[in-house]
Amino acid sequence: MIKRFLLICIALVFTLNLHANEQEDLKKHFLNKIDEVILIVEDNSLTKDKRNSEIIDILAPMFDFELMAKLSLGKVWKKLSKGDQEKFVERYVKRMEKSYSSKVDSYNNEEVKVNKVQQPKKNRIVLITDLVGKDESLDIVYKYYKPKKAKVKKDTWLVYDVEIKGVSILKADKAQFREFLQTKSIHELMDVLVENNR
Amino acid sequence: MKKLLVLLVLVVGLSGDEFEEFSSELETKEVSDPLSGYNRVMTSFNDGAYEYVLRPVASGYRAVVHEDIRRSVSNFFDNLYYPHRFVNNLLQGKFVNAYEETQRFVINSTVGLVGLFDPAKSYFDIKAHDEDFGQTLGFYGVGSGPHIVLPLWGPSNLRDFISMVPDSAMGPLELSISDDRKEHTPSITYTEYAAIKSFSVINLMSLNIDKYDKIKEDAVDLYPYLRDLYEQYRAKQIEE
Repeated sequence: MIKRFLLICIALVFTLNLHANEQEDLKKHFLNKIDEVILIVEDNSLTKDKRNSEIIDILAPMFDFELMAKLSLGKVWKKLSKGDQEKFVERYVKRMEKSYSSKVDSYNNEEVKVNKVQQPKKNRIVLITDLVGKDESLDIVYKYYKPKKAKVKKDTWLVYDVEIKGVSILKADKAQFREFLQTKSIHELMDVLVENNR
Repeated sequence: MKKLLVLLVLVVGLSGDEFEEFSSELETKEVSDPLSGYNRVMTSFNDGAYEYVLRPVASGYRAVVHEDIRRSVSNFFDNLYYPHRFVNNLLQGKFVNAYEETQRFVINSTVGLVGLFDPAKSYFDIKAHDEDFGQTLGFYGVGSGPHIVLPLWGPSNLRDFISMVPDSAMGPLELSISDDRKEHTPSITYTEYAAIKSFSVINLMSLNIDKYDKIKEDAVDLYPYLRDLYEQYRAKQIEE
């Protein structure tokens, strides 16, 4: 009886430890990525296009843009034809990449700090960070999940949503897409995404 | 054999698409929006006013006045509105925050030269705790009500719109408006108030021009996008 109890205790401690390591590893990985990005941003020898494409190369494995594309459409996603689904994902991913490089462009010596790491579920980790600037700091939350099957060319843990000052970009997209689709078609939505990508 | 089947079903079930699992997590409730027709029109109006009037004025002002000065102007107006932060912190039972706001007011009004500088933050690391009456009502469970886009002001909702009344009743500038000027008491006329207020808005805008542009870049449909950003942002502020 006591032996069994001890075994359970050991198992518990072990799994807790595993989780702590998982969180610590992810935090380190995240900060490394940020450092890599900052190095590129501060490299004046690169042209803007070259710089942006390098930044995207670093960040892309960290995000599951495909999943975000699906989720942003909600129930509509399942009703799309295979071809439309692929087309939409492609355009959404492009848009996200462009949006990120434009945000990174306005980088001005801010410092990224990870304030807290939470693991609400076994396959979810939340990094609560601060982008500390000269005058103000911006709280940004990165929400990660661990896909059941590792994805090609992707990290083990993937970001599926980002919250800036409490505003989830995924939810905001979901809201505007839903309203757009009430009066217009998915093809019009894809056209607008292409236009935004220019 | 049966066991094997059950196991198989379980495995297949578990490895199913992540889509379902996330859909429930991201379930958003629909915002009440009976005024959407008006709101859409007002959003385009505000956007036009911003693009063609406010932005040119703010960028011109930004080109002429140094950033440090504009920051100081913004600090000055922030410091002035200490009473409304103090009262709303108290109303929500956030006594420590109310106390810190008071410390900030005292330090910045004196060492910070009537609020032009923010030594409370830069030297003493005391952060601001912005609270308004809309947040106070939200804190006590008052719902946001329908979303309303206000002329020139931008996104708001019924709760936050009504809250402007008690908040401005605590505003030092608003309090000193009076029609007949008395001697030895600081007072301003409505025209002066409007001028000061516009100036503070243009000044604040000059510090944030890029932000609105960056937000707009990601909009597919500007009105629902801004509405959702506003409602999510307010919900978060109230939660804190």
